[in-house]
This record gives sequence, structure tokens and C-alpha cells, in this order.
Amino acid sequence: METVERLKSEFSSSLTSLPSTNANETLLLLSENEALKKLVKSISTEFDILFTLLVVDRPPEAFELNYVFSRYRDSALLTIRVNLNHDKPVIDSIAKILPSAEWEEREAYDLFGIKFRGHPDLRRILLQDDWPGRPLRKDFVVTDEIRNWTGLDLKF
Amino acid sequence: MINEEPNADEFSYPGLGEVMFMKAENFINSVLSWGRSRSLWPLTFGTKCCAMEMIPFGATKVDADRTGTLFVGDSPRQADLILCSGTISKKMVRRLLSAYEQMASPKYVIAVGACNISGGLFHDSYNSIEGIDRIIPVDVYIPGCPPRPEMFMDAVLALQKLIRENKEQGH
Repeated sequence: METVERLKSEFSSSLTSLPSTNANETLLLLSENEALKKLVKSISTEFDILFTLLVVDRPPEAFELNYVFSRYRDSALLTIRVNLNHDKPVIDSIAKILPSAEWEEREAYDLFGIKFRGHPDLRRILLQDDWPGRPLRKDFVVTDEIRNWTGLDLKF
Repeated sequence: MINEEPNADEFSYPGLGEVMFMKAENFINSVLSWGRSRSLWPLTFGTKCCAMEMIPFGATKVDADRTGTLFVGDSPRQADLILCSGTISKKMVRRLLSAYEQMASPKYVIAVGACNISGGLFHDSYNSIEGIDRIIPVDVYIPGCPPRPEMFMDAVLALQKLIRENKEQGH
């Protein structure tokens, strides 16, 4: 893909190609987190939508973020993989560049607690606002307290 | 001698007026509960696949209208009965409670399906309620995953019988 060649010349030091099982997909590992916004800006002319944002919890080192971009022209997929620090998972938001990223980032914030700097409306999207904990993290345990939690003041 | 304590040892039969009043009260209550049991308008609080079985319950083969269970309005303000079906998540609990509180008293609850009774398939999940009887009082349970439409009819008939026998006063 000519986009990949262009990106590799632009971000030569921080981009690495990884083998992908899907023939239609290109997988790139971005080692420099600060460059993500610039990279998305440069590919947003060719890739129209953020197809999905996959988060993998790999304790104790990192959260692995897979940004899967797609386009309407030939449905090619481009995956950018970013590793975040597990103790302080913070990254720049790309919602202002690609609007489809807004809800994906809210979901990642809701279920994993990853903070997106510069997001226009960073609230929980699926769970109740006062829900305790981040349920899809590996260290999350479903205790009786969580099981019986309703957030309501019920008197029987 | 107006505020004199009545003698507890002295037993007196109820007078004729008192008996008439009790008889009339019983009669009015039985007429009221008969009327209530024959016009249970349900609020269909269907969140999942059990709600699909609720559709044939209202359709031709198992005709809910025969029992006076009319699917009209479908608003909590006009409903007597809440047909609660499907998994209730922790976020949905507040909506269920708000719908329940808007219903006029006396109100009845039928819990439909395994998820509603005990959590069912999602019983150990972080985001589901293990049985709605933790939140609101339930009168009749319909087990099954999902239950057949005939079981809805069975549950409504059972609830009608309970109401007519004054065993179920509603909440």
C-alpha cells in the first residue's frame, strides 16, 4: 500500500510493520505515543472512518490500543497499535479529527478507564455514571458488593 | 361518663347495622376485585427475547384479549400489570423503578423468564440484576428461557384467580 510507504518515510523511527493474518489488513506498531495525532491527521485524507478501537489489557506492563481505520473505496484496513503505560493510561484523543472515534473512545474510557486528552465529552457510555470500577480490566473481580450494587437507596 | 373503657369480659354481638355494613363491604370488594381481574391492562416492559414471545401472546392463536388483558396505550399511567421480561441491567433498574412508580395502585407484577427471576444466563455478571424481586414485589413468576406464549396466558389466569379470591391485594 502506497500509504504505508509514505507513512514509513514520514515516521521512520517510530513505525514498525508487524505480520497480519488478514490479507486485507496492514498492521503497524507506533512506539511514540505523542505522534498518534499527527499520524491520524496525515492518514485521515485517505481513511475515512475509525472502524473500531480494540483495547487489550496486558498487565502489568501495558494497555494495547488497536486503532483500526477503514475506507469506503476498497474496504482496506489499517491498524495502528499503540502501547500505553498501565499505571497512567493517557493518550491524545482523535475524536476531533475522525468523529467516529468519539463513542469508541468513550467506550474504552468506560470499560478500561483509559483517559483521552482533548476529548469533547468524556463520559461513561454503557454503564451508569456512578458505577464502581472498570469491569473489563484483568484485575477486576466480581465480588458480592458489585453483584448486589444497584446505586439505588432501596428500603425494604 | 363518656370516655368509659368498655368491659372486655362482656361480649356483644354486632348489631344489625354493623352486619349490613360488613356484608356490603365484602360485596363491594368482591365486585371490585372481579372487575380488576377482568381488565388487567399490561405495560409491556420487554427488554430482550422474552418480549418476542409476548407478541404471539397478544396475537390471534393465544388471544390475550379474551381475558381482558388488552394491549392498549402501553403506558405506565394506564397500566395495572407490568409484564417485565428480559435481563434487567443495573442501568435499566432505574427506568423499571420509575415506570413502576408511575403506575396507579393497585398494581401487579409478572416476572417473565429466567433472567428476570434469578439472573438466568447472566447470573454472575457485573452488570445484571439477579432477579427483579430484589427491586419490586413480584406476584406471579413465569419460568422458561424463553417461556411459551401459552404460559403467559396461564400466568394471567393464575393472577386473575388470586385477585378474585382476594389473596392478591396489589401494591
